[in-house]
Amino acid sequence: MIQTNNLTFHYKKEKHLFSFPNIDLKERENLLILGKSGIGKTTLLHLLAGLLTPISGKVVVGGVDIHSISYSELDKFRGQNIGLVFQKKHAIQSLNVVENLHARLFLSRKPISNTIIDFLLEQLDVSDCKTSTINTLSEGQSQRLSIAMAVVHNPQVILADEPTSSLDDANCKVVIELLIKQAKLTNANLIVITHDHRIKPLFSNSITL
Amino acid sequence: MNIWSISLKNIKSKPLYTFLSIFILALSITLLLGIRQLETSFKYQMQNNLGEIDLVIGAKGSPLQLVLASVLHMDNPTGNILYEDAKKIGKSPFIKTAVPISYGDNYKGYKIVGTTANFATLYNAKLEKGSAIKKSMEVILGSTVAEQLQLKIGDTFLSSHGLLENDIDIHSEHLTIVGIYQPTNKIIDRLIVTSLESIWHVHQEEEHEKDENHLEHHENHEKEKEITSLLVSFRSPSALLTLPRKINKDTNMQAALPKYELEKLYRYTGVGLKTISWIAYMILIISCITIFVSLYKMVKERAFDLALLRTYGASNFQLTRMIAYEGLIIGLFAFLLGLLVSKVGLYFMLRIMETEYQQNILQKLPLQEFLQIGLLVVVMIAFSILLAIYPIMKMNISTTLSNEK
Repeated sequence: MIQTNNLTFHYKKEKHLFSFPNIDLKERENLLILGKSGIGKTTLLHLLAGLLTPISGKVVVGGVDIHSISYSELDKFRGQNIGLVFQKKHAIQSLNVVENLHARLFLSRKPISNTIIDFLLEQLDVSDCKTSTINTLSEGQSQRLSIAMAVVHNPQVILADEPTSSLDDANCKVVIELLIKQAKLTNANLIVITHDHRIKPLFSNSITL
Repeated sequence: MNIWSISLKNIKSKPLYTFLSIFILALSITLLLGIRQLETSFKYQMQNNLGEIDLVIGAKGSPLQLVLASVLHMDNPTGNILYEDAKKIGKSPFIKTAVPISYGDNYKGYKIVGTTANFATLYNAKLEKGSAIKKSMEVILGSTVAEQLQLKIGDTFLSSHGLLENDIDIHSEHLTIVGIYQPTNKIIDRLIVTSLESIWHVHQEEEHEKDENHLEHHENHEKEKEITSLLVSFRSPSALLTLPRKINKDTNMQAALPKYELEKLYRYTGVGLKTISWIAYMILIISCITIFVSLYKMVKERAFDLALLRTYGASNFQLTRMIAYEGLIIGLFAFLLGLLVSKVGLYFMLRIMETEYQQNILQKLPLQEFLQIGLLVVVMIAFSILLAIYPIMKMNISTTLSNEK
């Protein structure tokens, strides 16, 4: 569950004030946010993840106003309740696939369970790459890993920033479908931010900035 | 999975940098530890070998040479003095003990010292086996001599003339071993001790053979008996001020203060050690810069990784610890390596020196010195770590994530 209320933001050195439409997602609802480059898509995503602090307005995740708690509590809250998927780099370079997932769970203060990890990698069709290092993964494999990293800790909200822009049509569809499926399995809200119109048909609920 | 293991994986993922950091740091630690140990050993050895000797009286010449020859047995003597003259000085009320020594012969490189029974008390040396010297041509071996030459009581040998081992100039009289001293870790361990008479006897016999005018020589020689030097220990320190000056002014002998002379020598040799110390400190600084660069590079290049870790729920403090552990692991390995290399290096170095000077001078480094170096290294590493983690404190996760997209 995630709600926003009259979010506004502006960067220190810029005059432009971003103001964002309200979002109100009930349990298991997904949302596609479309918009051109520079319109503030990533800014919105970072506000939702608590990586940026808004000028005004609120972000409430699972009943917690994330900008009203202390920085260290926010770090902890983010680690436990939010999963982020990025466009390119998705994991820690010096760790292999399984180690990344272990580190992810450790830092989220969640118990480390190899059965869950095995099951997840199986689902995402990357069981073969368990001990591969990150830079040996293909684009598709590495995007699947980023999904695993975003859902392994059972978050309340999954936020994806341009997850498909570097993928071909086939992989694009697979990745979004996997994201939707994993969100459903963990009862999480999925918010995808993109300028990629290929994925519009896969979402019932979308807004354009 | 914890912060330690992430740090370890980070280190493993950049082996070249890690190796370089450890190598340079270990080099400086090796030098620092090695020099300190040599320095302490040197100083200790010199102080220790003084025993209770406060003053050395010998023939005029270089006072340092006199001390090196008579106290450390490392150099040629300045010449001989008359036993009569030395005995006169020995009667001074300032003097507690005066031990005459006379030498000029060796057996297989170990010096033979003719002296009186008091010589052993200067070094607190006690007999391990055998008995005291009762007559001429009997000797007691220092423990190292006995061990190295595999000699035992009752064995006899021929001494050779001079202070270095040679086969050409061998005396014809046999010396008999009657005792062996306990190890003292002092110079006496490496000496062959005999009576003054033995030395005189050996040399007079030979002079007789050469000298045709036997009778006249014999009459004079009681008066002409010579010794190399007189080792003196004072009754009170006040003698230090008056006695040496008096001897140097009024007699044809010189008095040298071993403590002062060795301190002087130590200052000369200390310059070299100081230079190496400074080089070691420079290398330590360079190695800390290497560690800093390595960590800073990691922080900068992997900014995205670090930002990712933050989105995984890692706190700033956890990231800081991660970087700090990397520095500490490198530091720890370097310290152990440095310690090992300095021990092994010194061992082999001293093995070579030992065969040259027949001296084993390696002393254990006092814990305090050891801790001092350890602390210095820790502080330097901590400083480089602090500099490297500064960017983490200022990191803006949002900007980092957006820029690296």
